Amino acid sequence: MTGEQKRTLALYYCQNVPASGERERQDLEEKYGGNIRLFPVPCSGRLEPIHLLLALEEFADVVYIITCPEGTCRYSEGNKRAKKRVEMTRTIIASIGLEVERIGMIIGSKENPISLADHARAAMERTLRLPPSPVHN
Amino acid sequence: MITGEQKPIDEIREMIAPYKRILVLGCASCVAECAAGGEKETAMLASTLRIAAKMKGEDVLIEEKTLDRQCVRDFVILLDDIIEKYDAVLSLGCGAGVQAVAEMFTEVPIIPAINTEFLGETRDQGYWLESCLGCGDCMLHHFGGICPVARCSKQLFNGPCGGAMDGRCEINPDVECAWHLIVDRLTKFGALDRLENIYPPKDWSKKQGGGPRKIVREDQQK
Repeated sequence: MTGEQKRTLALYYCQNVPASGERERQDLEEKYGGNIRLFPVPCSGRLEPIHLLLALEEFADVVYIITCPEGTCRYSEGNKRAKKRVEMTRTIIASIGLEVERIGMIIGSKENPISLADHARAAMERTLRLPPSPVHN
Repeated sequence: MITGEQKPIDEIREMIAPYKRILVLGCASCVAECAAGGEKETAMLASTLRIAAKMKGEDVLIEEKTLDRQCVRDFVILLDDIIEKYDAVLSLGCGAGVQAVAEMFTEVPIIPAINTEFLGETRDQGYWLESCLGCGDCMLHHFGGICPVARCSKQLFNGPCGGAMDGRCEINPDVECAWHLIVDRLTKFGALDRLENIYPPKDWSKKQGGGPRKIVREDQQK
């Protein structure tokens, strides 16, 4: 990753996502350095728009949420709530002229489970397609 | 409770444009219950405004605080120690809250960030329904606990009008016919004969026309 390409991704993820334990989190931090900030949450439904907004305000170019697959939430409907909150936060940032793509969501697949590391790679690839955030530049 | 909705962000930004040090002030009572101006919404609005300011390269200070109640002076006075730091307050309180803060701190502009809407009830998560106009002369006992003033589109005291279809209002099918509900409710407790009463026009002088209404209770005063 060149200096010009440097972006910071805030990645909130449900701890129900496969291979998302503390060891894997540390490995990812080591791999991506300061370009990725990982926030495990017991359930994506715990996230509120303020968490996403503060990440965009303070440090992140892009924020992603990774949820467990629909129908597998341990708390019944946390991932459905996360989806609504992502939509709401996108509406908020659109209202001030920030690209909605700066908030992303990846919903896991029940049939084809994907590890946290693979999700992180996909989110980082999408992050690099966006220019640096106008909030920090 | 009093309900409200946040104003569009463009309108808010226009109102605060002349100011450089802004306190976003939430209220943890009614407007928190209707998810318009509580601690969470206050933090969201403040963050959104800071992001917008950073994007435009504006040099502004935007901080937030939430009072338990903006409409009660005992809580508003808590701003006394900090208000000098700001040259404007963006209030997410209802109209009463905005005015209470403005009355106590006359040298700082208090700007409303929400549109106050109605007295309502929380029907479900994310669903609030107007149920009271605050008419000053409650008659709910006549109508099975359903207010025809607040909930009938035609505000009929001697309904039903006959225009409802399948229990929905002919003016707006999204609205339940209040008189359909009243008849159902009165039937359930065997009081349908109340419909034979003729109710005279309401005395609206108890709601408006005499300036702001007030309640004075000496037993509650110091």
